Amino acid sequence: MRTRKKRNTEVATVRFDSFAHLLSHYAETSADAPALRFEDRTLSYAELYERVQIRAGELKAGGRTCLGLLCDGSLDNVIELFAANLAGMQLVMLDASLDDEILKSLIRYTDVDALWGDEDSCEELSLALMAGVKDGGGKILFFTSGTTERSKAVVLTDHSLCQSAYNGSAKLPLSADDTLLCLLPLGHVFGFVCGLLWGLSCGACVALGRGPRHYLDDCDFYKPTAVSVVPMLLGFLLKMRCINSELKLVLVGAGDCQQAMLSAAAAMGLRVSFGYGLTETSSGVAISVGDDPYAMEICPDDTITLAEDGEILIQAPTCMMQGYYKRPDATSQVLRNGVLHTGDLGAFDANGRLHITGRKKDILVLPDGTKIFLPEYESALMQALGHTELAVTLRGERPVLVYSGEAEAADIGEKLRAMMRSLPRGQQLSDILITDQPLPRTATGKIKRWELQQKVGLL
Amino acid sequence: MTRQDVLEQTKKVIYDCFPDMADMDLQEDSVINTETAIDSMGFVLVICKLEALFDVRIPERQWKKLQTLGDVVDAIYKRIK
Repeated sequence: MRTRKKRNTEVATVRFDSFAHLLSHYAETSADAPALRFEDRTLSYAELYERVQIRAGELKAGGRTCLGLLCDGSLDNVIELFAANLAGMQLVMLDASLDDEILKSLIRYTDVDALWGDEDSCEELSLALMAGVKDGGGKILFFTSGTTERSKAVVLTDHSLCQSAYNGSAKLPLSADDTLLCLLPLGHVFGFVCGLLWGLSCGACVALGRGPRHYLDDCDFYKPTAVSVVPMLLGFLLKMRCINSELKLVLVGAGDCQQAMLSAAAAMGLRVSFGYGLTETSSGVAISVGDDPYAMEICPDDTITLAEDGEILIQAPTCMMQGYYKRPDATSQVLRNGVLHTGDLGAFDANGRLHITGRKKDILVLPDGTKIFLPEYESALMQALGHTELAVTLRGERPVLVYSGEAEAADIGEKLRAMMRSLPRGQQLSDILITDQPLPRTATGKIKRWELQQKVGLL
Repeated sequence: MTRQDVLEQTKKVIYDCFPDMADMDLQEDSVINTETAIDSMGFVLVICKLEALFDVRIPERQWKKLQTLGDVVDAIYKRIK
């Protein structure tokens, strides 16, 4: 097992124990500084803390114990999530764009007894409300990316999330003069920590994106100096030339980024940093801060080692998840003796910086940052088609189905239409490839993913 | 404005946004995601342009349900009627 020590390049930043600590600190020390902007409204740190405290009092009086948040990224959304935490409720971060049936399943699984979101959705989803929890104080549940009804909820806390934000701000500090644009969904841990908490931890102003329809003009509207994005969104912003001149720093996470995109960003004077982390580690554990965005330094609280086969193993005592909600079996499969077995493959360079080299697990990571868990995805396809000789792989960064046997692609597409409608757009199949050749398999019958990927790339 | 007008203008927006698709014959039942190489960001672009063109607003929660060209046309036509 190879180990690398952390380089001592941390910058002194404030470390917060909880959301309450963070909010009260800046309400006292930077009362009038802008904390949040959404559309034409701005809240100072003092106003934010006051609004959160008032709402926390209301929630406490309501007596509910577990709040499901249909995250829309609005100002009220942010106030509600902080307030619920201060009120001692368990928080469940739900992606409002998911199908209602999936959301109901997730609500039942996580014991949600109250909902926040738009009225119509809450009314529909209230049918699934449960009895709540007894010991949920401080817990914040995020679903692993690529959410389906069988997704695992990762139990984090405001403490672990604050430590993760500290890790990030120690490597990439922002100042009170900065404006961080939050474009990513708050229901995903990367969006939450690197789009919101990173900025607030530094006492900066966080501009809350106005949703996908404003991707084209949010930079011009808010004039941010920093932004966190997934690769696909960075590519979109660059291609559409919607980067403002004040923007200097782009933090990219949750996926691979092509060199051409980096060159385009550099040509615009942007500094691009990559972050590596998982929902299970409350977001980033390694961040690039030098000239090479692919070379990531390990964050202050974390230790990364490589197993003999190159698998990245993480010890993150301050940021590690408590476990998967009500899934001790699944927790013990990946978290053993405080070490998270990530399923990602990596290597250290001569300077001890981490480079991601691939995936060990049966997972596809899409450019929008979401993941497809192949065994689960393929099983659903097999069920829909009544056929087992199939596999899913990537072609041009989009998922395609490889179907071994006699069939018409149009017929398969028709049979899968209902299933595809239930999936996020990025996870829908972009093509169906029919082959009369058997799928490449190992001696034990497992699909040789790499070989399949190579073959599809040649088609 | 007729539904056919909406269909034609929607196709024009898609062709304008994605010139590579100019030789593609888009039909009502063309599944935009799988037949036209419009990824999720491209889809955002198309919807934004259509919303501006027709002065309508399609709730973001509805976007994922718009799979075919016909779905998109219906969503717009319903809101301009």
